[in-house]
Amino acid sequence: MAIDPVTLTVLGNAFVNICREMGVTMIRTAFSPIFNEGLDFSCVLFDRRGNMIGQAEFCPAQIAASLFIVRWTLEELGVDAFEPGDVVLHNDPYRGGAHIPEHSVMRPVFHEGELFGFVANVGHLAEIGGKAVGSFAADATEVFQEGLRIPPVKIVKRDENDLELWRLIMANHRTPRNTWGDLNAQIGSLRVAERRVLELLDRYGRGFVEQAADELMDYSERWMRAEIAAIPDGVYEFTERMEDDGVVDRPVAFHVAVTVSGDELVVDWTGTDPQVRGPINATYGVTAGATYNAVFHLTDMAIPKNSGAYRPIRIIAPPGSAVNVVYPGPSVGGNTETHPKLADMVVAALAPALPDRAAAAEGGTACNFLFGGVHPKTGDYYANYHLEGGGWGAKSYDDGNDAVVVKNGNCRNTPVEIFETRYPLRVVEYSLIPDSGGPGRMRGGLGTRRVLRVEEGAEVTVNALFDRTKPGFGAYGLAGGGAGGPAAILVKRAGDSDFRTFSEAFGTVSPSKFTNILLRGGDEVRIDSPGGGGWGDPRERDPARLAEDVAQGFVSEAAARELYGASPGGRAGAAELP
Amino acid sequence: MAAEGSWRELSPQVWETVVTPCDCCGQVVARRLWVVEVAGDERRFCSPECEALYRDYVVARRR
Repeated sequence: MAIDPVTLTVLGNAFVNICREMGVTMIRTAFSPIFNEGLDFSCVLFDRRGNMIGQAEFCPAQIAASLFIVRWTLEELGVDAFEPGDVVLHNDPYRGGAHIPEHSVMRPVFHEGELFGFVANVGHLAEIGGKAVGSFAADATEVFQEGLRIPPVKIVKRDENDLELWRLIMANHRTPRNTWGDLNAQIGSLRVAERRVLELLDRYGRGFVEQAADELMDYSERWMRAEIAAIPDGVYEFTERMEDDGVVDRPVAFHVAVTVSGDELVVDWTGTDPQVRGPINATYGVTAGATYNAVFHLTDMAIPKNSGAYRPIRIIAPPGSAVNVVYPGPSVGGNTETHPKLADMVVAALAPALPDRAAAAEGGTACNFLFGGVHPKTGDYYANYHLEGGGWGAKSYDDGNDAVVVKNGNCRNTPVEIFETRYPLRVVEYSLIPDSGGPGRMRGGLGTRRVLRVEEGAEVTVNALFDRTKPGFGAYGLAGGGAGGPAAILVKRAGDSDFRTFSEAFGTVSPSKFTNILLRGGDEVRIDSPGGGGWGDPRERDPARLAEDVAQGFVSEAAARELYGASPGGRAGAAELP
Repeated sequence: MAAEGSWRELSPQVWETVVTPCDCCGQVVARRLWVVEVAGDERRFCSPECEALYRDYVVARRR
């Protein structure tokens, strides 16, 4: 007999809440800002067959990674390999991971001696060794330069740490104390989640909870199929480019063909460029995650996020291409730079069929800025991974959001105080960039500018992995909307009067992707995040909204005249436009 | 129409750290390959469902 809808909803919410509590535990116990400020992690719940039955709304980048990591680890190790209290650790980008800094941990949940399922989370460790501090080598050509690669191994056996393995990991990371704290936050949160699952099983009974999980997955599948069936059948295609791969100064092309056939989708990435030398290659987990991310943006947000929702979506990602890197290709930037572009491509491809659901392109770069060194006040080695929010794309019904981290991140912007209290940096400026939102009837969201100055007496080694800094690579608009403003990562050496690109100042191959540049006291770095694309003809923008843009400083008077067609006493109002 | 396929177990040695992708979708095959002959060539899939996708979608698009 089917479970009544109210009870089913209660149990579905319980699955999600267990995952949320896992996340809150990590926020409160992790050592690194990327966990407790950035929220760069995901928390999931699986049944014993490897079906995802619950997920909290943290980092969408790991949507698919968490799906595949658990399922493939189960297949590789075998379900019998798991005993109560075991924790398997894994960060292999070729085995479902999104990129090598993201470490997955999974723990079996046994109830009255029987395996019910698994609790798991994926978290981005801020420093895992490799050639660049912060383990984000923007000029890496092999995975070995990106950090320590770990296939599925038990780091905890029957609730006892395998300290031999821990020591091996610690010896290969630059900030081992943080790794210890962050990994233990991940592992500890699994115990919290396990306790909550057991409480649920005690209360409702294992068989009933398993039935509810199956019914919820079928419900999600039916709902997703209904959403897809509402899209007109056809083949929808889109092409996008990235400015370079960090190693070779040449654009990289991506192509997608979305075939809608009844209540199923085939999302085919054939036609994308072959795997490139630099680290912007996407893993299978990234490409699948971007595809799912886009589909969730275009369908009803209330569909419960579990394995059932994914069943009607088939993905083809050719191995050896820039959307499915093969060993030993690098991939650390695929998760941050390629994922948002791939997701936006699926959205843009389907825009003709779903004009009121599709948004224009977002900034599409996480503006990865990594830095580290010896803190002059403490003598301790530090490392930090920072990402910057940019503008999101406009929709037919509203402007794009300002200063929001890429759609695969869902991460928070790091507060000024974190830079200034933990690291030898001063934040000189943090502001919205006028005119960075793509013009349109609905305007793209604004990018931000952050200027950081190295404190006197300090030395800081910096790395960056950005995109959309070159002309012609801005976030595109839809339905006649214009492109968003560019990103930039610039430097002003102490005593200089102007900012320059790192290529101009240090000779890096790419102005937006470089590694291991040493800055000294008084040097400044300027981070500009890109704006989002606009939607619709800018000359059709509501005059009242345009006047407000000008009054707030979001749009300059010159842009209001030239791009939006405003005139003195005209559309934006005489008081605003002299 | 699907041809006769068979499952092939993967037993990598400890030094074999490279994973095997499906010839159709590109997913990792962690333990078992679905091996089929298609137009005279051996194809390795993650599942019979992916073989069907290969025949119905990939091959059809290449025609």
